[in-house]
Amino acid sequence: MTSKMLEGIRVIDMTEVWAGPMGNSLLADLGADVIKIESFPRQSSITRTSRGVALDGDGPPWERNSLHHMANRNKRNLTLNIRSDEGAEALRKLISIADVLVDGYSAGTLQRIGFGWDDVHELNPNLVMLSMPGWGVTGPYQGYVTLGSGLDSTSGHAMLRGYPGQPVEEIPSILHTDATGALGVVQAVLAGLFQREKNDNGMFIDMSQTEAFVWQMPGATAEYDLNGRVPPRLGNADPHVVPHGCYRAGGGEASEASPESSEPSWVVIAARNDAQWHGIATASGNPEWADIEHPWSTVVGRLRARADIDAGLAAYAATGTAEEISDAISTAGGIAAPVKHAVSFLSDPQFAERGWLQSVEHAYMGLQLMPGFLWSISPDEASVEIPCGLLGERNHEILEEIGYTDKEISELEDSGVIGNVYPT
Amino acid sequence: MSSRQQSTVSQPDLTMDGLVQPFEGIRVIEIGGSIAAAGASKILSDFGADVIKIEPPDGGEARRLPPFPGDVPHLDRGGYHLALDTGKRSIVLEIDMPSGVQLLLDLARGSDVVIIHLPPKQARMVLAVLDRFGDDGPSTVTMTPHGLEGPYADHEEDDISIFARTNRMLRHSYTGEEPLRYAPYVPTLQWASTATSATMAAIWGRRHDGIRRSIEVVATEALSGNVDSWYIPWAFTGSNQVRSLGNQVAYSEGYFPCSDGYLFLSVTVPQFLKRLCEAIGFPELAEDPRIHDPLQQEEHYGEFRDAVNTYLSVRTRYEAFHELQSKGVLCAPLIDVSEAMTDPQAVARQTYVEVEQNAGVGVTTIAGPPFRIRGQSENPWQIKPAPLFGEHTAELLTEIGYSSEEQLALFRAGVTS
Repeated sequence: MTSKMLEGIRVIDMTEVWAGPMGNSLLADLGADVIKIESFPRQSSITRTSRGVALDGDGPPWERNSLHHMANRNKRNLTLNIRSDEGAEALRKLISIADVLVDGYSAGTLQRIGFGWDDVHELNPNLVMLSMPGWGVTGPYQGYVTLGSGLDSTSGHAMLRGYPGQPVEEIPSILHTDATGALGVVQAVLAGLFQREKNDNGMFIDMSQTEAFVWQMPGATAEYDLNGRVPPRLGNADPHVVPHGCYRAGGGEASEASPESSEPSWVVIAARNDAQWHGIATASGNPEWADIEHPWSTVVGRLRARADIDAGLAAYAATGTAEEISDAISTAGGIAAPVKHAVSFLSDPQFAERGWLQSVEHAYMGLQLMPGFLWSISPDEASVEIPCGLLGERNHEILEEIGYTDKEISELEDSGVIGNVYPT
Repeated sequence: MSSRQQSTVSQPDLTMDGLVQPFEGIRVIEIGGSIAAAGASKILSDFGADVIKIEPPDGGEARRLPPFPGDVPHLDRGGYHLALDTGKRSIVLEIDMPSGVQLLLDLARGSDVVIIHLPPKQARMVLAVLDRFGDDGPSTVTMTPHGLEGPYADHEEDDISIFARTNRMLRHSYTGEEPLRYAPYVPTLQWASTATSATMAAIWGRRHDGIRRSIEVVATEALSGNVDSWYIPWAFTGSNQVRSLGNQVAYSEGYFPCSDGYLFLSVTVPQFLKRLCEAIGFPELAEDPRIHDPLQQEEHYGEFRDAVNTYLSVRTRYEAFHELQSKGVLCAPLIDVSEAMTDPQAVARQTYVEVEQNAGVGVTTIAGPPFRIRGQSENPWQIKPAPLFGEHTAELLTEIGYSSEEQLALFRAGVTS
């Protein structure tokens, strides 16, 4: 947030769950002033209320929920019952001085309570409003509800994942579109701000989180478009690259990650070209694999020996831990990586050298090492100025900025329009 | 020296039919020839930036990655290139020699930002050269797997090894089974999208405070730092739940059989579960502790599943999808890529668009706009064909003031192609 690139841009964050909140945190990391408006007194965000993801400890459970901490740094928090007249009036005042409003609700929700595009455009003709439903604002799925995992199904991505031949029921569900949607927020907002300078007028941006993602699968789209083939599930294999796989490492268990489990550790190994293969051959103690006389020394020779090479590398991978195998191969010029558990972030020498993890002090979580930023910027490096905000933490500060007196703020508290503790 | 005023590259007319595009008047240089670099500048190009793609003499990864029409390799016809290089200008340049470096400098002069994806040693060379412009030079966005410095800086990586380092691959599997990647190049293009975001911010910042910035977008950080990495739940709870518990364990999310395929259902929180039970005609299940109590759910998962299957077995994916969505249930049909391109929502919104390509490919169908700016007659997003290999080499050399004799000399010396 000490990054200044978006300094002076005021953003109202009315999003929940992950894609929207993370996108708004990224805008804040870049220097925008992001005001997060949370529903009150109704607890609506599943990331504050879901079970099993909060550490035991002091303070209300909604302040300790890890799913919420994943996507809400560097924002100023305001609670507001926007369905009350007083809450709606406060929101109108905020909108009138904002540059950007990010709406994370299903298509039509804000419109029904008087904050549709026509309404906010009249309040503030320069406002950039971004709505980001899973399938977009228009079309037959308008108003449909989903999480990122549902979008993975309708984008075609889910059918590309998994092991060849595996039952569909066993495809793991993932939330990748939350990560793509978060970046989509940054891009859509910046495109809108640039466009505002050209047209001297605010605008509405319709971002389907599906559409913010599907451009990341150009190969699969082209396979069907150019050749009429629906790409099969490949597992970890690549039809043109051998080796390209994931192997069970030795050294037994991912002991740091999971001391009580019998979880094995895994290592990824790949070679796109002969030089990288040379590195793998050398590291594995089989330099002859890369001799010109050896059939595996060539791209085509390796393609023809896929099963034998996989067996050879499986045997090698079992001789060390995932880290030992991958370090040996990487150092020798091949491609390899341990399949990491989150705990490995703490022991990663490269992360340590770059100081990537951030020490963050939170009122209820204490001192935590949190993931770092998606980019490093010189001269104005990003930083965590505000840890994951507490409910209504900045109510007074923000309402004062838009002209409310202490007395008026107290009245809003008394009438339950704002607050910092959910009623039981 | 005020090199920004020395620009001699002309600004191409990016307005078509009076359409004003957000990044019109902004020039971006892309160096590297990789999927990551191509992906990083694509959205800027489609929204109006003049993106100059400096390509290596072998065409690089972006032009060499299959698929190709009819499986016949061709530098101008790869599916990734055709989708990711839309609207860019291509110049083929050997930057590993002083003559190439000088050309790079002449192209970069007056540009807003240079996106670099090269091995760290080469990247440091390019950055040092660009530093000659001082504060007047373009901002830079440097993409590396691990960063320009540090113990892993020189490690070679690819799409799957980067992914493995970010915790997602382990989670994308079940206990005891081999961890899995996502679809090919999805992680790489997520990294690219991170660079796109940083690039836009750098351009905005420069236009408003005049500060030239040097930004690094490191693949492992871009992926590990985004919202779906699951580091924080582990850090907060110390959970030993290393992997996903799987769809067999109630009640997270999963794929359930319909009469013609599968429907994805999400019942991650009690209110979602309640809506589903009511919608499929078993409202009593939502009140039954065997179904909603986390401690009993797993044991009674079969009963829940039977109820869902009874409902779905006589409905198609789309029948169930529309009916359940009308009752607020989180669900989605499981469809493949070909079905995704003809899905009613995709058709209604033109999620995929056709573009007349160069190189004898004809019309290709690729992903449409990632977002739509309304409030003017049409979205200021415009897809143009991907350039032929070196299509704009002569045009760009002429723009930066090289005579035809000089251009011949550069070609003859192997600097340009």
